[in-house]
Amino acid sequence: MERQEILDGLIEVLRTIRTIDPDRLVGVTEETDFLTDLSTPSTELINIAAKVENKFDIEFDDDDIDHMGSKVKDVIDLIIMVKARGEKE
Amino acid sequence: MIEDKETYLDIIQNGNLVGVSPTQMLLHGPTKRLLDKYHWHSPNKGIVASYSPTDRDVEDHFNVFRGVDQVEAFAQASVVSCATFLECRKLNCTPAELKDLFIPAFISIGSVNFHNYLELGDTFISIGNITFYKWRQMVCDGRVYKVPKDLDLDVYFSDFTEERLLKYDISKDFTLVAELFGITGRAIKIELFKKTE
Repeated sequence: MERQEILDGLIEVLRTIRTIDPDRLVGVTEETDFLTDLSTPSTELINIAAKVENKFDIEFDDDDIDHMGSKVKDVIDLIIMVKARGEKE
Repeated sequence: MIEDKETYLDIIQNGNLVGVSPTQMLLHGPTKRLLDKYHWHSPNKGIVASYSPTDRDVEDHFNVFRGVDQVEAFAQASVVSCATFLECRKLNCTPAELKDLFIPAFISIGSVNFHNYLELGDTFISIGNITFYKWRQMVCDGRVYKVPKDLDLDVYFSDFTEERLLKYDISKDFTLVAELFGITGRAIKIELFKKTE
């Protein structure tokens, strides 16, 4: 799965998050920070992660979430890592 | 008090918090503990627990238990107790052992509506309904009620059910004190917590 494809899917997820202003999703890049650029409450990152699991058919561990950064690229890296881990199992 | 670890682990794996002393579940010291007893608990659904404010709790505050302490008491009864219980079940350990791994953090409040107040001499219950639990983060909604005088809470909640929990189906003799939404706690790994210092 290409990074752009993941980014597009992630933006679809973000459109369903009530606390994110849809206008701020225009021009989202991998460098966009959920907390500072999208003003996402930190507790909402967990809801985003839960929706990402469903969207990309993956399963995060507790440790994955502990170490997840707040930038879009961090989430994309995590999705790629978890997908690769799933393929190995 | 549960004296041996084997008995405690059996309760954690197969039982619930009724009969467990909050002193063995909440690890902070007595001056910050706002929880006396668990009366009903369904590990994945929710909890009912009580507290009677002390002289110290109402000191310098008109003998009234502060609203902020109601929120803390609710959080201790719900997210802290319930999430600690489930994490201990997952790791097959006791809360005392969990203390070496995680810091229980109160990380968010959605909203709170106060309807009444609590004074010295009152007893109240927190009814907590688990709305989310994943990755060591728990969210609870719920209510705080003042308990009718001389009611035996253990007897009253002995046949309580998950269905009644969701509907706050209790006697009209209880007085609604507060409604709480989105009370959120997370167990943070000690090494990550210390990074932020």
